[in-house]
Amino acid sequence: MDKESVRIEFTVNNKEVALDIPADATALHVLREMLSLTGTKEGCGIGECGACTIVVDGKAVNSCLMLGAQLDGRMVTTVEGLATESGLHPLQEKFMEGHAVQCGFCTPGLLMSSHALLEEKENPTRAEIEKAIAGNICRCTGYQQVITSIETAVSERLDGENR
Amino acid sequence: MEQQFRVVGNSVPRSCSKAKVTGEIKFAADIKLDNSLVLKTKRSDQPHALIRSINVEKALAVEGVRSVFTARDIPGKNLLGIINKDQPLLAEDRVRSLADAVALVVADTEEAAERGAAAVEVEYQELEAVFDPVEALKEGAVQVHEKGNLLSCRKVVKGDVEAAFTSAYSVIEKEYTTSSIEHNYIEPDAGAGYVDENGCLVIYASTQNPHYDHKEVVGLLGVADDEVRIIQATTGGGFGSKLDLNVQGFIGLALYHLKCPVRYVYSREEAYLATAKRHPFVIRVKTATDKDGRFIALQMRAVCNTGAYGSYGMAVASRSAVHATGPYAIENVDVDVKCVYTNQTFCGAMRGFGAPQMALAHESQMDLHAQALGLDPLAIRRINGLRAGQTSATGQLLTASVGFQDCLDAVAPYYEDAKENWLSAPTDPFKRRGIGIGGMWYGIGNTGVQNPSTARVEMSPEGKVTVFTGCADIGQGSTTILAQITAEVLGLGHDDITMVVGDTGCTTNAGATSASRQTYISGNAVKDGAEKLANVLLTEAVDRLRAPKNSLHFVDGHVAVSIAPEIRVSVAKLAKRIHDKGGTLSWQGFFDPETVPLDPETGEGVPYATYAYACHMAQVEVDVLTGEVDVKRIVAAHDVGHALHPGNVVGQICGGVAMGVGFALMEEFEPGKTESMKDYHVPTVSDVPEVVPIIIESPEPSGPFGAKGVGEPALIPTAPAIINGISSALNKRIYDLPANLERVIEASIQAGHFRVQE
Ligand code: FES
Ligand code: FES
Repeated sequence: MDKESVRIEFTVNNKEVALDIPADATALHVLREMLSLTGTKEGCGIGECGACTIVVDGKAVNSCLMLGAQLDGRMVTTVEGLATESGLHPLQEKFMEGHAVQCGFCTPGLLMSSHALLEEKENPTRAEIEKAIAGNICRCTGYQQVITSIETAVSERLDGENR
Repeated sequence: MEQQFRVVGNSVPRSCSKAKVTGEIKFAADIKLDNSLVLKTKRSDQPHALIRSINVEKALAVEGVRSVFTARDIPGKNLLGIINKDQPLLAEDRVRSLADAVALVVADTEEAAERGAAAVEVEYQELEAVFDPVEALKEGAVQVHEKGNLLSCRKVVKGDVEAAFTSAYSVIEKEYTTSSIEHNYIEPDAGAGYVDENGCLVIYASTQNPHYDHKEVVGLLGVADDEVRIIQATTGGGFGSKLDLNVQGFIGLALYHLKCPVRYVYSREEAYLATAKRHPFVIRVKTATDKDGRFIALQMRAVCNTGAYGSYGMAVASRSAVHATGPYAIENVDVDVKCVYTNQTFCGAMRGFGAPQMALAHESQMDLHAQALGLDPLAIRRINGLRAGQTSATGQLLTASVGFQDCLDAVAPYYEDAKENWLSAPTDPFKRRGIGIGGMWYGIGNTGVQNPSTARVEMSPEGKVTVFTGCADIGQGSTTILAQITAEVLGLGHDDITMVVGDTGCTTNAGATSASRQTYISGNAVKDGAEKLANVLLTEAVDRLRAPKNSLHFVDGHVAVSIAPEIRVSVAKLAKRIHDKGGTLSWQGFFDPETVPLDPETGEGVPYATYAYACHMAQVEVDVLTGEVDVKRIVAAHDVGHALHPGNVVGQICGGVAMGVGFALMEEFEPGKTESMKDYHVPTVSDVPEVVPIIIESPEPSGPFGAKGVGEPALIPTAPAIINGISSALNKRIYDLPANLERVIEASIQAGHFRVQE
């Protein structure tokens, strides 16, 4: 059974990639299986858990619901692209310090959702933070330490800017 | 004098948290083995049937399918189960539930495996099925297993309940039911394996008990111990369901026959279909008090539905019977909990092992009696709450670390404040507010059976410490805590300790990550190993420092004289000397809590060496028109003995509360109906309340640095606190979980709130 394949070119974590993918492959499949970016997780495959969240052109999306073909021409960030040469992203640091990570399976998704929020909003309210992560299910933490960690990342960024 | 600690008691960074935030960490589904084949099972589509024939021809003809295995291909014993062996890996002559696996397909790709599984033809002869455990106990009911539908019965009997009922001031009898619950860890079960150069089958698995997995796979394949090695992959939560074999046996079977790498990643749907659930309970309870509100008798008849297989069912029945009284001293007790087979999806361990179900009953009864006597809910709990020096229903004298009253005291100011300032504050006319209290106790470790843990603590001649432990960290943070304990004993930093965890090739059995037992039991085993190592180091230091042993202590990688710390020698130097002399630097630690098995007729015995205690207060707002319940806040006080890692303890409390909210208000797994996460709602950030965690430290003398446990306790009081809150808001009690919209509206209507108010 030969499947139709399509060629896509996009930027992932600041790297340009070009590859042929099966036309029906999800973005999640392309990232995990074809590009070995296994930091993005599959928890349900149907858009209910948020473990597969990536940032596409600044927006947090469920990569299990997106076709790989739709990645063509886009700017994609996955959890592997959060840290830079100068170190971890502040959200990553705060998640670690704030004990927001237990089993860690939901963590990449939560990081990407909050990353998209922090890129969009300078000083999000608690309600905005909650809304941003409302699609990310975490069965371990009860979210409280996650929210606090995001809030700390926000406030430290503001402090840094005001200094 | 308060003991001073350097490492334990601090919220040090958790092991692996960096790899978890960067996405580098490998969960089982992330492990890529070259040329790996893919597994998929054909599951039963009958709840109860005889298998007439299995035809794999068509499946084998599917392009990309390599092999199809059935029960006949299992070389060893095709029966699994940690307590009683009753569950075949692959069905032989019959299926007993929709979850039963009938054939295992091995293929090149996921798609081929799926097509192959669909092409396996099974001819069934349908049998009558039984789903209700009460029905299953009746005479003439369909037999799920040859030995009958009653798997086990646990009794706890003390005093004379009938006499107490006769003399009682107030007697209340009610029935409660709880639902089946899906664990819904976010990482679906997964594993991968290969055969190494020595012919050993190496299996990476998402698991809570690698050493048990090892034993089962060895038995299943009929091979020697050293022919199988289980390595715990990073595990994305478990909550009890990853205590059973999920993918491990299938991977083992395929490796055994094919000798090439394989992987098996459950879809969420398969994880729902095929893994253990929480036991639903039907609980009939009758309690009596004297006129002052003192509980004088409790009688309970409960039935829990274990579905098609035992899994941890016997443990659930046992623990629930022991926990039936809740954290209260009651002189006359007569409890009988039956665990019953049906044709539902099997139920096993889930956070709390029956104690959350019991808590609904005992906490509701507490409030009902309070109401009957005009007592305050907190006051009646104070009257009855256990104190050190009292005896439990199993006749166990509780000598120390009984922090229940402290938990009540800690919640009290929040309670008074909420009553005063929050309860009557103006709100929407269709919303009613309520405050509910829930208490709990929880025995740490398995119930009245041996459940030891072992660990090896090793120092290299250069002074580097490695701990080998079979204790599976499933996200709760045990690896970090065991490193802290070792570091505390040896005067090192937590990050000086290398942890080798959950690899049956080099670790020894630590037992299951369940029953909130790892901090207490494996913590003590690691501490024992570390202290033995410390002892040889101190002995060596005596020689070097010319000072008696009891004048020495460990500090910053040295052994120093306590009163003259400048007189010291580095641990590395001591290790080198011991090594050069041919001494041993590798020590095995062991701990098994002191318990006494329960008498089969009376339940008398010492089921646990120690208990954790907690009290939650819930503030809820109920919409009387929609039935929506908004849990505003949970104040959660937990006696954990000593919080070795407060950040972890708070994490457990907040996570437990979230799961408790789900148990109370929304979660219900219906076998055959609940297929995917679309059909099953677990709390999102918008469903969870603000949590005020309060850590109570009532040190446990037998615990490692005073610690007990908190993993399961965190969940147990939440649901009853919420239910009591709803009941007080509506003036109408709900007896069945979950208290979903329909049930709350029903209660609202019955209480007369469901009408337009002038
Ligand atoms: S895997 Fe995409 S939302 Fe769950
Ligand atoms: S940390 Fe385990 S699911 Fe969130």
